[in-house]
Amino acid sequence: MAVMETTEGVPPEQTQRWAWLRFIARDKKALVGMIVLAVLTLAAILAPFLTPYDPNAQDFAMIGAPSWAHPLGTDDLGRDLLSRLIHGGRISLFVGTSTVLMALLVGVVLGVSAGYYGGWLDTIIMRYIDLQWAFPNFIIAVYLVAVFGAGLSNVIVAISLAFVDDFARIARGMVLTIKEEQYIAAARTLGASDNRIMWRHILPNAAAPIIVQATVSVSYAILAEAGLSFLGLGVRSDTPTWGLILADSRSFISRAWWLGFFPGLFIMVTVLSINFLGDALRDLFDVRETKDLGAH
Amino acid sequence: MSGFIFKRILWAVVVMWAVATLVFFMLRIVPGDPLAAMLFDAGDPAAAEELRKKFGLDQPVYVQYAKWFGRLLMGDMGNSIYGSRIEVSRVIREALPRTLSLTGLSFLIALVIAVPAGLISALKRHSALDHAVTLVAFLGLSMPDFWIAILLIITFASGLHWLPAIGYVPLSEGLWPWFSHLILPSIAIGTPFAAIMARMIRSSMLEVLRTEYMQVARSKGLFKLRLVMVHAFPNALIPVVTVMGIALALLMAGTIVVENVFAIKGLGRVLIQGILDRDYPIVQGAILVVSFIFVFANLLVDVLYTVIDPRIRYD
Amino acid sequence: MSRISKALTGQEKARIETELKQAYDFDPKDPLFSLTRQQLGGPELNRRSVLRLMAAAGTLTAWHLMPGSGIKAAKAASGGHLKAGWAGVGEFRTLDPAQINQVLLFQIASNVLSGLTHINPQLVAQGDLAADWSVTADGKEWIFNLREGVTFHNGDPFTADDVVFTYNRSRDPKNSIHSRVLSNVTDVVKVNDHTVKILLGAPQASFLTKTMERASGRAMTIVSRGGLEQLSESQYGLTPVGTGPFRVTSHTLGQSIVLERFENYYDPERPKLDKITIIPVIDAEPLAAAIEAGDIHIIGGNPVAPELIDRFEANPDLIVNIVAGPGFQSIWMNPWREPFKVPDFNKPVEELMKEKGFKVRLAIAKAIDRDRYIERAQFGRAVPAFGTINPAMGFYFDESLGENSNQKYDVEEARRLLAEAGYPNGEGFPTLKILSTPSARREVQVIKDILKRSLNINVELDTKDFPVLIDEFETMNYDMTRLGSGGDYDPDDGVVDWMQTSSKFNGRNRDKDKMPFGFFSDAEVDRLIDEQRLISDPQKRKDMVQKVNKITSDKVACAFIFHPIDAQIRHKSVNFPAESRIPGLMDLDRTTIS
Repeated sequence: MAVMETTEGVPPEQTQRWAWLRFIARDKKALVGMIVLAVLTLAAILAPFLTPYDPNAQDFAMIGAPSWAHPLGTDDLGRDLLSRLIHGGRISLFVGTSTVLMALLVGVVLGVSAGYYGGWLDTIIMRYIDLQWAFPNFIIAVYLVAVFGAGLSNVIVAISLAFVDDFARIARGMVLTIKEEQYIAAARTLGASDNRIMWRHILPNAAAPIIVQATVSVSYAILAEAGLSFLGLGVRSDTPTWGLILADSRSFISRAWWLGFFPGLFIMVTVLSINFLGDALRDLFDVRETKDLGAH
Repeated sequence: MSGFIFKRILWAVVVMWAVATLVFFMLRIVPGDPLAAMLFDAGDPAAAEELRKKFGLDQPVYVQYAKWFGRLLMGDMGNSIYGSRIEVSRVIREALPRTLSLTGLSFLIALVIAVPAGLISALKRHSALDHAVTLVAFLGLSMPDFWIAILLIITFASGLHWLPAIGYVPLSEGLWPWFSHLILPSIAIGTPFAAIMARMIRSSMLEVLRTEYMQVARSKGLFKLRLVMVHAFPNALIPVVTVMGIALALLMAGTIVVENVFAIKGLGRVLIQGILDRDYPIVQGAILVVSFIFVFANLLVDVLYTVIDPRIRYD
Repeated sequence: MSRISKALTGQEKARIETELKQAYDFDPKDPLFSLTRQQLGGPELNRRSVLRLMAAAGTLTAWHLMPGSGIKAAKAASGGHLKAGWAGVGEFRTLDPAQINQVLLFQIASNVLSGLTHINPQLVAQGDLAADWSVTADGKEWIFNLREGVTFHNGDPFTADDVVFTYNRSRDPKNSIHSRVLSNVTDVVKVNDHTVKILLGAPQASFLTKTMERASGRAMTIVSRGGLEQLSESQYGLTPVGTGPFRVTSHTLGQSIVLERFENYYDPERPKLDKITIIPVIDAEPLAAAIEAGDIHIIGGNPVAPELIDRFEANPDLIVNIVAGPGFQSIWMNPWREPFKVPDFNKPVEELMKEKGFKVRLAIAKAIDRDRYIERAQFGRAVPAFGTINPAMGFYFDESLGENSNQKYDVEEARRLLAEAGYPNGEGFPTLKILSTPSARREVQVIKDILKRSLNINVELDTKDFPVLIDEFETMNYDMTRLGSGGDYDPDDGVVDWMQTSSKFNGRNRDKDKMPFGFFSDAEVDRLIDEQRLISDPQKRKDMVQKVNKITSDKVACAFIFHPIDAQIRHKSVNFPAESRIPGLMDLDRTTIS
C-alpha cells in the first residue's frame, strides 16, 4: 500500500504521442525533476568515467572535510565521498527502478488476470492482495528480508514483492471498468482472443494510472532500500548505496557532518524529483485536483 | 452494519493467522542457528542439546508449529531464545508503550504542523505562501526519516546539547524527561507525515470550498473564519480520516527505523534485533503484534468512516 | 604496547620475573602444589599462595603481576548516584550466573551476587561469603566456614543450604550452560548451617580462583533459592536476588538497570554509592555524546570504539586509562579450499613452502601491512599481531615475533610467492569471499584494500549476522573469515582454544569424513600445547608457548592482524580505586563520585 494511489476508474485523456513532454516542459517543478533525474541517471551510467576517483580507493586522509580536491570530503576510510555517492547512485537507482519494474510486471499480470477472468481466480488473487494490502510496503519488505536474509538480491526481491499489491489493485480496477466498454465487446465479436483483448485493448487504456503509480513507487523503493540498508537488513557488500553510506556514517556524525549530510541529500533530491514528476503526470492524466493520497 | 463488522473482524483474524503461519514456516528455512551463536564461547555441547530439546528445536517443523500455535491460542507467545529467555509477551508489553508514545506524539506534531499549513495554502491558493507550503511539503515527503533523525541529533543533541541524543524514559519518571527524549524522534517520524497531511487538507479544503453550499454561504456574506472553521474544515476532514489507516502505517513504518537511530527499544527495535539474532519467538511475536495493529487499525478506520460519513453504507 | 611496557620500571620488571619464577617452582605431583595446608587455608590466601595456585592451574601470567592503575583521584564521600553506560549492547538479557555468556553481563552481576571467594587486583583470593576455609592433605576435601549473619536482598538468611542448592542447579546442563566447570566436583555436603564440605575428584589448583570465584567462576556464584521460587526463572534473570553490595531495584529490558545500595551488606564499609543506573548503548556516537554531556559518568561493557579514544583523551573532563587487552584478531583461510588448500600441515615449513596452496596463504599473510591496517581500521589503537599470544599475557608475549615470523610484512616477498603460485601480479587469482559480521564490515574493507593494493587480488565482502557466521565458521563453509578471540589473560586461551586439532573452535561441526581437521592441525603443536599445561617451570612454559606461537605463525594457521587494547573511560568526578581494577570486571562497591 503506497501512500499515493491513483485514479481508479477515470478514463485517460486521449493524448497525442508527445503531449506529455510538452506538458512537463510547461510545469516548472516537473521540468526541474526531469532534468535532475536525467543528470543523476546519466551520472550513474557513466560513473566510471565521471568520478574523480575510484570509489573504493582508500587513498586519502581519513575524515577529510570538503575541499577543492574532494568537494564532498572524504570518509572514515579515506575514500572520496563524491565518487562514492555517484557510484552509489548506480545501485540505489537500479534497485529503485528494477524493483518497480518487477512489481509492475507481476502486479499487472495478477491484476489483469483477476479482473478479466473473475471467478475463483479473482478470488484467490484478491485474497492474497488484500492480505498484503493490510500492511505498509516497508513493513512487508522488512518481513521478507527477515525471512530471506540480507543482501542485494534478497533486498530486490523483497521490495519487489512488497509493491506487487499496489499494481495488482490498480490494474484490476481498471480492467473491471474497461471490460464493460463497447469497444471491448466489439473486439470480442470480431473474434479477438482473450489474450489479445487483455493486452492489446484493455492494458493500453489502463496504462495511465499504472504509469503514475510506477513513478511514485520508484521513489518509495529508493527510500525502502535506504531504510533497509540503514537498519542493517539491506545491501551489505562493499558496493556503496546511498542508504549504506548513510548508515556507515553514523559513528562519525558529530565529527564529520558531511558524511551524514550528503548521502541523505542525494536521496532527498532524487525522491523529490520523482515526486515532482509524479505530480505532473497525475495532473496530466487526470485534471481533478484531489488525488494526493487516493483520498476516496 | 453489524454483519459487515463481523465479516471484517473474521477477515482480520484470518489475515493474522495467515501472516503468523507464513512467517513461522519461512523463518525455519533461514540459515543461522541462534543456539550456536549463544553458546559459541561457553561451548558446552550438553547444554546445547538440552536447550535444543527445551525449545523443541529437535522436533519436526510441523510439530513445532502445532505446539506453537496451540500455545498462541492460549495467549502464550513463547520465550526469547537468549539469556534468561524472557517471555515474548513481556518484551512486547515493555516495548509497546514506547512505540505508542512515539507514534502518538509524532501524530500530534504532524497535525500541529499540517493543519494550519494545509488550511492556509487552501485559503490563499496560488499565493506565494501556498507555493512555499507546497514546496516544503514536497521536501518533507522526500527526506528519509532516518536522515532527518541524524540531522536532528547532529544539531540539537551533539551540537547544542539541548536534548538527549538517545534513549527512552517512561512517563512515570516525569513529563519532561519523557517528552524530551521523544521530541527529536517524533519530529523525524512526523515530518513526512505532516507533509502528506498538509497536502491532503489543502486539496480536500479546496474541494469543499468549491461546493455549492459553500459558495452560497459565502455569497450570503457569512463571517469568513467562522465559515471555514465550522462548515468547511469538518467536511474537509472526512476524506482525511479515511486515510488514517494509511497514516498509521506510515507512522509505524517510521517508528521501526527511527527507534533504531535513537536506541529506543520499541516494537521496531525488538523486531530488527530479533531478526539480526535469529531469535525466532521474538520475531514471530513482534510481527504478530505489528500485524495486529495494522489489521485492526484498518478495520477501525473502515467502521469509523461509515459513522462519520452517513452517505456510506456497507451491507 | 610501548605505552604499556614503558610504564614499567626496571625494578618492577625484575619483581615480576622473580614472582613468576617462585610461583611456578613446585612439585606437580604434590596434591597441595608444594604449599602447606596452612597456606591454603582462608580467610585470605597470601599472595605467594595465590600465585602458586594460579601457576599450578596454568593461569598465572605476567599481566597479572603488573601494577594496577596508578591514577589517584580525590577521595569522595559516600553516597551519590552513578550513571554508567555499557558500550556495544542493546539490552541485558540475563544476570542469572547460570546463563551469562558475556563479560559485560558478569561486570554487572559481580556487583549484585557473591561467591564463596573473590579475587582482588593483587590476585589474592579473599573470602567473600566464606569466612575461612581449610583443605585436607590429599587436596580433595575443602571445608568452608561461611560468614554468619549474611542475608539475601529479599531478607532470607544465607546458609549452607544455599551453597548446596547452587551446586545442584549449576551442575545440571538443563539449568546452566556452565556445568562443565563443576566436572571435577564430586559432591557438596552441608556439615551444618554454616559449614560446607566440597569434595573433588582430583586436586585442582584452579579450584579457588576459577571454580569458586564469583565473577569468572560462574558456576558457584550463589543464587537465592527463595528468590528463584518467588520469581519466575526469567524474572530472576532480570532482577536476581543475591547477597552482593547492590540490589537490583528495577530492570527494564533495553532501557536500564537500577542498582541500589544493599543496606544489610555484610561489610558495613561498602558499598559507597547509593544508586547506580546502567544503560545499554549500542552505538558509539550516542555513547560519546552521553559521557561528554555528563549524562553518564563511566563506560563499561564491550570495548569502546577505537575512533572515540582520541576524542576522549582530548577532553580534560575525562580520564582514559589504557592497558593491553587480551585477545587476537585474524583472517582464517580455509585449508580445504583453493587457492590456499593445504590438506596436511605436518611437514617442515621448508616442505610446505613448496606447495602452491601454502604459498598463497603466506603471500596473503605477508602482504598485510599491520601498521596501515591499525592506522586505518583501528585509528591507531591496537597492537600488530603475528600470533595468538598477546601483550596482555605479558611474560609469554614474544615481542620479537614481528621480526622473526614467516608472516613478517614484506610486500615484495608476498608478490613473489603469489607469482610462484601461478598468479603473477594477481592475474588469474579467483575472487574470494571474506566472511565477517556487520560490525567488522569497516575493518574488512581495509583488508580488502590492502590486498588489492599489495597483491592486486580482489576479495568480496560476505557480511553475515553472527548466528549465520558462526554456523559457517564451525562447518568450515567459507573462503576466508575475519574472526578472533576477546579472550582471557592466559596463553591457554590462545593456544588450547584455537590451535590444537581438538580445539573447540577448530571446525567443530565440519564434515569429519571429508576434513580430518578444521582450519589447522599440527602434531608438534598438539603435543607442545598438552605439555605446556603441565609444566611447572615458567621459563620452560614460556619457551613452549612461544614455540607453539612461532609454529602456528610460520605455518600460517591464519593471518594474524592485531591485538586489542583495553581502555577504561570515566568522568574525573568518579573515583575508581585501583583495588577495584580487577581484570575484566567493573566492581563498583568501592567507587565514589563527587
